[in-house]
Amino acid sequence: MSNGIRVAALDDIPEGEGIAIDKAITGTADDIALLRDTDGSVWALDDTCTHEDASLADGWVEDGYVECPLHSSRFCLKNGEVQGLPATRDTCPHRVEVRDGQVYLFPNQAP
Amino acid sequence: MNVVVVGGGIAGLSTAAALRAGGFDGDLTLVDAGEFPYDRPPLSKEFLAGTKDLKQIALQPQQWYDEQRVRLINQSTVTALRGGSVELADGLRLRADRVVLATGGGAARPPIPGADSPRVHVLRTVDDADRLRAALTPGARVLVVGAGLIGAEVASTAAGLGCEVVLADPVARPLAAALGDELAAWLHGLHARRGIVTVPAGAAAFAEAGGGIEARFSSGFEPPRVFDVVVLGVGMVPETALAAASGLKVARGVLVDDRQVTSNPAVLAVGDAARTRRGSEHWEAARHDGARAAATILGTRPPAPTAPWFWTDRHGRHVEVVGHMEAAARVVVRGSFDAPAFSVFGLRDGLVVAAVAVDDPNAVRAARRMIDRRVPADPGLLADPSVNLRALLRG
Ligand SMILES: Cc1cc2nc3c(=O)[nH]c(=O)nc-3n(C[C@H](O)[C@H](O)[C@H](O)COP(=O)(O)OP(=O)(O)OC[C@H]3O[C@@H](n4cnc5c(N)ncnc54)[C@H](O)[C@@H]3O)c2cc1C
Ligand code: FES
Repeated sequence: MSNGIRVAALDDIPEGEGIAIDKAITGTADDIALLRDTDGSVWALDDTCTHEDASLADGWVEDGYVECPLHSSRFCLKNGEVQGLPATRDTCPHRVEVRDGQVYLFPNQAP
Repeated sequence: MNVVVVGGGIAGLSTAAALRAGGFDGDLTLVDAGEFPYDRPPLSKEFLAGTKDLKQIALQPQQWYDEQRVRLINQSTVTALRGGSVELADGLRLRADRVVLATGGGAARPPIPGADSPRVHVLRTVDDADRLRAALTPGARVLVVGAGLIGAEVASTAAGLGCEVVLADPVARPLAAALGDELAAWLHGLHARRGIVTVPAGAAAFAEAGGGIEARFSSGFEPPRVFDVVVLGVGMVPETALAAASGLKVARGVLVDDRQVTSNPAVLAVGDAARTRRGSEHWEAARHDGARAAATILGTRPPAPTAPWFWTDRHGRHVEVVGHMEAAARVVVRGSFDAPAFSVFGLRDGLVVAAVAVDDPNAVRAARRMIDRRVPADPGLLADPSVNLRALLRG
């Protein structure tokens, strides 16, 4: 597991968007959202919003945050911290590495 | 400095949160009539459907109040504002250098004859929702009066609970100002597709009728019908009694300036209780009011204004609205009304002024930024679902 799980090619994730990686692949309790910030960097958070049942991979990614597609709570890409209501709980961040245009995920490791 | 926030809805809580986030170090007290502050939008959706309970709609967990050093005085009300203090129902006085009125509103109860029957409900509080849910048993004959946001949501939830629902509204296309004619008509049409009977009339009178309540309608063409349950979803009345008794200027809401300050400089008002020219009685507007009030108290710069936004859910469709559709000179449909997701953009003078999205969250998020940043709009590109809206935003 030390090299991480190769989950996507960087080009699969347009800037400002995300894709969800199935928990069957990540071995985590929740799916994991791979989110590509507007500066091109890639981050990973638990995919399900902590408010209701929305996929953060479908959210709006911009300037270090992802905005939930249902009621617009924002989460910090780096540490999963919730920025405002209606969600009240942080989501869980995971470590990501990009090597040779491939995205590697380290589930449950701190970024 | 001591700040007392009166009312623990989204506006009051947002005020308290923004004060602390902005570095406020004084005493902060939140007085609320309920058991604990909870969120209202679920009351017509998941809470009414029974898929969420009161704990699950708490606005903040208990420890938040400790962490943020917010003293919560629950199940109490502020009964009077005095110079430098407020008085609670039990006679307790709290020092208050600044008071923030976040008293929200109540459901409108128009004087329809017979509407005082226990079979006639409104929906604003958890108690209202508990009572209504108990009545929404499978097969119950339900009349919803008013097909606006809350009426439509209640009709949808009641249908989901297996009730036989009639939805009455004299307006042919409810919410047309906010949504545009075409989308308003389509959205209203979802009710009939779900088996709800829509009646183009208002309710004129109610009368007890063997084992039910008989409703007469405002249109002579609609025969009276008997129901088990009636729900009035006909609007909100700002809660201004405390403000009025304290000599503040009130006119269908506590009058405030663009910094949320009332006619008394030591008193601010936020949320549904306050009346600004923005005039939007929605969740996010209340939240932004709170942030603005906190900035006023702290003497810091208020957050940048942004186009108003709200959401509503009915019949499994998630609808979001941003901007002012009534200001649009023309509309552009992105996708088709039959598609699983689509949106409508309202344009004026080469700019986006509004958008409504149905299960298309990123269209409305893009539109909001286009409005706020005054990005020139190309109707042809907006109408083409294959064009990436983020790319349009980057210009
Ligand atoms: C059923 C329902 C569904 C909704 N759905 C949506 C939606 O989907 N999307 C959306 O954008 N908006 C929705 N809204 C609107 C949104 O919930 C309101 O705009 C929002 O709740 C306003 O917040 P507020 O804090 O101003 O007022 P409120 O939420 O009404 O809170 C005011 C609080 O003040 C307390 N209070 C009043 N007087 C006193 C006093 N003297 N002393 C102490 N406490 C007092 C009250 O008990 C209450 O708790 C919905 C509203 C309802 C009722
Ligand atoms: S589901 Fe994410 S904010 Fe509500």
